[in-house]
Amino acid sequence: MLDTLTLAQASAPAPMQTGTLHHYLVVSALLFVIGLIGFVSRRNLIIMFLCTELMFQAAGIALIAFSRFWLNHTGETFVIFVLTIAAAEAALALALVVLLFRRKESLDGAKWSEMRG
Amino acid sequence: MSPLASSILLFAASVVGAIGVAMALPRRGVSPQLLGVLVAALGLGGIFIALGVRSPGALPNINFYLFSVIALGSALRVISHPRPVYAALYFILTILASSGLYVLLSAEFMAFALVIVYAGAILITYLFVLMLATETPTADQVEALSDYDRYSREPLAATITGFVLVAALTTMIGAGTAKMKPVAGGESQALLAQLPRKVEKALVESKAIDPSRGDRLARNHVTGAYFIRMSGNRVVGVDIEYGQGQRLTLTPESDKWPKSLGIENVEGVGFSLLANHPGGIEVAGVVLLMAMLGAVVLARKKVEMDEQAKLAAQSRALVDERSMSALRATPRVAGSHAEHSNGNGTVHRIAEGVGR
Repeated sequence: MLDTLTLAQASAPAPMQTGTLHHYLVVSALLFVIGLIGFVSRRNLIIMFLCTELMFQAAGIALIAFSRFWLNHTGETFVIFVLTIAAAEAALALALVVLLFRRKESLDGAKWSEMRG
Repeated sequence: MSPLASSILLFAASVVGAIGVAMALPRRGVSPQLLGVLVAALGLGGIFIALGVRSPGALPNINFYLFSVIALGSALRVISHPRPVYAALYFILTILASSGLYVLLSAEFMAFALVIVYAGAILITYLFVLMLATETPTADQVEALSDYDRYSREPLAATITGFVLVAALTTMIGAGTAKMKPVAGGESQALLAQLPRKVEKALVESKAIDPSRGDRLARNHVTGAYFIRMSGNRVVGVDIEYGQGQRLTLTPESDKWPKSLGIENVEGVGFSLLANHPGGIEVAGVVLLMAMLGAVVLARKKVEMDEQAKLAAQSRALVDERSMSALRATPRVAGSHAEHSNGNGTVHRIAEGVGR
């Protein structure tokens, strides 16, 4: 059961069972859906962006699980790029949120539902 | 148990989880958050049992259950906690738990990168902005817990939609993974042919060669290529040069073969990133630079406050003024009484906030 922990040093990593992959993918799906529910139902703009980060996390877990299953590192490399994009998105989105807050003194997403300047 | 029964169990557990999530989301009226979290945990347990029943021979490591329960539980708190700062802190907990999952998947480099980049950098930015963009409480309030944080928008509809997606996704994942075959080998040793120094060091450590006698990995004197013999993705032998140009082929069957010779996670990621995707790094650098410039430009921009927001700010200032002058105008004895009742209200409000 503990074989996955010692894989890094093994010369030939043990193949991952499809059932194990299934577990990781279901956890990733659940995390994604929790993020989605949060994005739809929360009204605070910052929490909505936090929920998109949750969804990024879910995608990351799925990518890393597939990377382990196929025993190559492309999935991990992709997660590095996802991290980069998440950082860029956080910087820009949070700057926008600060602008919006300065205009209406509120973080309520519903206040911006009417798109008048 | 047949796959059909286990998928029925999976759907039933998903429905229980959905009810739990819907209960945990903050709403007007009664919002039994603690009960909701417990019901959601029950649903998660049911989902894990259904998965375990489906593939009893391939149960994951026990730590998997620990980390995924922490990750999903704190993700639920992220979307259900009425205080944004607490939600951000719970998100850090989700990050730490999912980096634990990464370690279980033998992706150590990504696990540490995740903790450093997400928990260390991105979340701190979120916390700064949360503290920058909170409504200022008026003098009669201790803190402003605004309406839009206290009540969520359409929690029931959101949960139903989300868990329909869960049902679809788990069905698709089950059908997809059933067709896949476990992979052996992979590129675990394929990169060793490009790392002769690593091979040589491993050989020295396993005492197969002795550099003080001039032993070394044999190489072709014309092309400079090392004789690391590969068969598919596996190293099947290396040539060693010793003495006056004599050669010897060492195979994995030899007892001097280094047992731990293989590619580590960081080496694999490094090769994949720099050798296979160098263009991606350039693009990522440009994206980060643009994001930085954009954030600076946006944050420096002067914005006019909205008419409504101006009015709201004025009325808030008026309330402040009034309560301050009321405090100043009241005589000493009556003032202490007023302060007492005010203090009571404060305690009440704090207790209410924690209870949610």
